[in-house]
Amino acid sequence: MKILVPFKSVPEPNDATVAGAAVSTPKSVINPFDEIAIEEALRIRERAEATEVVGATIGPPAIDEQIRSALAMGVDRAIRIDDSRILDPYAVARILRALVEREAPHVVIMGKQAVDDDSNQVGQMLAGLLSWPQATFASRIEFLNNKTRARCTRETDAGLEVVEVNLPAIITTDLRLNEPRYVSLPGLMKARRKPIDLLTCDELGVNVHPLTTVLSVGSPPKRAGGTRVESVEELIKKLKQEAKVL
Amino acid sequence: MDFAWSNQQRELLDAVGRFAKQQLNYDVIDNDRDGIFNREAWKKCGDFGIQGLLVPTDYGGLGTDPLTTVAALERLGYACKDNGLLFSINAHMWTAIIPLIYNGSEEQKKKYLPGLSNGTLIGGNAMSEPNSGSDAFGLSTTAIKKGSKYILNGSKIFVTNGPIADLLVVFATLDKTRGPSAISAFLVEKDSPGINVARKLEKMGLRTSPMAEVFFENCEVPEENLLGKEGGGAFLFTRSMTWERGCILASAVGSMQRLLETCIRYANERKQGGQSIGKFQLVASKIVDMKLRVESSRHMLYHYGWLSGHRKGVYLESAMTKLHISDSWVKCCEDAIQIHGGYGYMTEYEVERELRDAIASKLYSGTSEIQRNIVASMLGL
Amino acid sequence: MAESLILIEHDRQQVKRTSLHAITLARQLGGEYGLLVLGHGLSGIAASLASYGASAVIVADDPALTEPLADRYAAVIAEVARKRGADTILGTSSTFSKDILPRVAALLDAPMLTDLVGIEKIEGSISYRRPINAGSMFAMVRLEGGRRVLTARATAFDAPLGDAAPCPITRFDFDPTSLPNGIQFISREERKSDRPDLTEARVVVSGGRPLKDKETFERVVGGLADALGGAIGATRAAVDAGMAPNDYQIGQTGKVVAPELYIALGISGAIQHLAGIKDSRIIVAINKDPDAPIFQVATYGLVGDLHQIVPKFVESIRQA
Repeated sequence: MKILVPFKSVPEPNDATVAGAAVSTPKSVINPFDEIAIEEALRIRERAEATEVVGATIGPPAIDEQIRSALAMGVDRAIRIDDSRILDPYAVARILRALVEREAPHVVIMGKQAVDDDSNQVGQMLAGLLSWPQATFASRIEFLNNKTRARCTRETDAGLEVVEVNLPAIITTDLRLNEPRYVSLPGLMKARRKPIDLLTCDELGVNVHPLTTVLSVGSPPKRAGGTRVESVEELIKKLKQEAKVL
Repeated sequence: MDFAWSNQQRELLDAVGRFAKQQLNYDVIDNDRDGIFNREAWKKCGDFGIQGLLVPTDYGGLGTDPLTTVAALERLGYACKDNGLLFSINAHMWTAIIPLIYNGSEEQKKKYLPGLSNGTLIGGNAMSEPNSGSDAFGLSTTAIKKGSKYILNGSKIFVTNGPIADLLVVFATLDKTRGPSAISAFLVEKDSPGINVARKLEKMGLRTSPMAEVFFENCEVPEENLLGKEGGGAFLFTRSMTWERGCILASAVGSMQRLLETCIRYANERKQGGQSIGKFQLVASKIVDMKLRVESSRHMLYHYGWLSGHRKGVYLESAMTKLHISDSWVKCCEDAIQIHGGYGYMTEYEVERELRDAIASKLYSGTSEIQRNIVASMLGL
Repeated sequence: MAESLILIEHDRQQVKRTSLHAITLARQLGGEYGLLVLGHGLSGIAASLASYGASAVIVADDPALTEPLADRYAAVIAEVARKRGADTILGTSSTFSKDILPRVAALLDAPMLTDLVGIEKIEGSISYRRPINAGSMFAMVRLEGGRRVLTARATAFDAPLGDAAPCPITRFDFDPTSLPNGIQFISREERKSDRPDLTEARVVVSGGRPLKDKETFERVVGGLADALGGAIGATRAAVDAGMAPNDYQIGQTGKVVAPELYIALGISGAIQHLAGIKDSRIIVAINKDPDAPIFQVATYGLVGDLHQIVPKFVESIRQA
């Protein structure tokens, strides 16, 4: 079974714990949810249910570092679709559709959302374009019936839900699916010998342009800091009299 | 002179930093207080590839050059707050792995280096004795050849990793009357008959790195475990000590950088009399001096690392590097406590522990006094 | 102007009230809108939607739609949109709409924007405002193309008034045998609770990792929530540690809430958590660490041990 894991290079999620704080490190990493997807694919291969894990990403040469991280984790082969534009989820989904048709994987596992854009759309759009089943926000994945179906536990607003999907299918990963392994130095060394295939949209036969334009980006209005209280009594008094919420 | 890292080096260093930050900072305050060695963290480092950085790939290591190695250890020191764990890793690398690489027979290398590289085997050395510290070659532990074995008798103190080591490089003399030329090195496995790893020693700092006294009472060592030649021990020790001096404080440079950033953050956030204490010149000045110490330490470290890969004689540079970084580290830690005021004294803030850990750096691998003697003699005085 | 189509969510018994907030967005966009519900046995639910000023309530009612399977629902929604000439599909952000609407967008060859918090009309074109980077920034975005799919963040739009004259309720006919069969529903955990829904509650009490374990979490956080008649929330750390189920999680990848009163117990204030609570009217933070970032956004902050403070708090409320 071949697993395709599309992943995105994103700015490292900020360590700063107050909204609006300046970002001090412009480092890029693999989107954390996609890292979870890569980890799951590797585990599936390690228990001999898959034979190949292929990573794929869209971007300029600068993201090769993230591709090598994916290879260092254990991905067998990686594909970079060379495109320096800022793409919206629908453009990404259309490019990935062409890639899926070319690679013919048995299952696509990918992160549910990118932590910079927070859209949570690509997996579902890709499934719609391919007319494939989808299982989103998966916290557990098992293969059944000689790998013709996958049973997935999904994290929803109402709690956990279990569905089964026929393969091939798109599965998007949620936080608690697994804890990704760290890139090891031996892995990094091995990664240097693994191939990164370069493709263009032309070679994929796809000509898309994003339908979304970002006009501006700004900070939200800062929430004014409040006051410290010294005791429960004082807190309750303020909640009743000042805030009028109790 | 190109001061830039290559892409490959940068990837490696970033991977080290990310790994250490996420995996090696659990329970440090508690483990320091209770003197507990974090075996799980050691194993993770082994799986990650730290212990095997310098080991040739033929023996299961990564074959990394010395400059990249010290930079990786610096990054490790920056991202990992457990100085004791790093001390144990360093002891393992410089006192067990290096002697094997340079003086081990093919059989010995094949037998021990793979396990030492991935951390499944823990190594250390036993050199110092109750009556011989700085005067290392004044040791009294004896080794007598009997048939196909060497019989060791004596006691060793300050054996880092003693309680957990699978393999110790033990220095003993074949004939006390012949001085250093009779000293030999032996590979002694942990359950050898006659070896007695005694009580764990309680230390001021580096408390997560276990240390013990080790007694040899007619301890039997097979002759194939002689490391190098009979009488080659002093030379072997000097060579591995040159490596150790240059490299053992690489992680200290990282620790200093972390302390510097902590102090800057604190100086900006802590307000007294209506302004950040960083605006007070007496505080700012200390931080400036910290910055200078970090930079000069780093430059000496990298220069040593580069020289080590390009030239054979680095005896002078290794002594200077160790001397300068240890002095700098202790001074940085003192200043960091001062800047943090009362909070700097509290274990919860993890600043006081840095000083307790740093002070030993002026003692191990040759005291600062010994380093000064070395430099003085190398300067022709 | 073509009609908008709003996907309304329900739990088979009644409409999920937060899903109505998309109607407010539709009203801001202007033009007519239809309300769409899918499922089985929907007459009561459909009737409850008649007074929201829609041009129609459209009901797709069939046993094949008993469970919200994304491939089936998306297929029907796309068909409704095409038949009615709807060029804008709307919903309120939830795992339900996030699962289904992007697939609808692909079927309609349309771009999609999630979690809108507002719109602006400048010189005849519409700009949409949405959070990015865990809500630490906001982007103003424009869309091209003849169709679009949008989800609204419930906390950013008021609940619509339901006082309009009733509109027709129309049944949407489709061929259930033509629906995809790729997804099968197996099971769902049903947890009954007397507490209000987390996204609708007036008061939310949330706990972080210092709550130690499941029993302590339920006792302390639940105890205070019950004393205040509120709902329970949790940080990702608490859910990861098994102290609370995933549907309690508040934050960038969990739920976004904006209650009148949000009480954070033992929560440090990581940016990913703040993303889910910033629009709460009053935030109270109780934490042992005086430097915890949450104190920078809390209306009232109390430094201390929550295990000592919360029982006193509960006691005082009970006495009042």
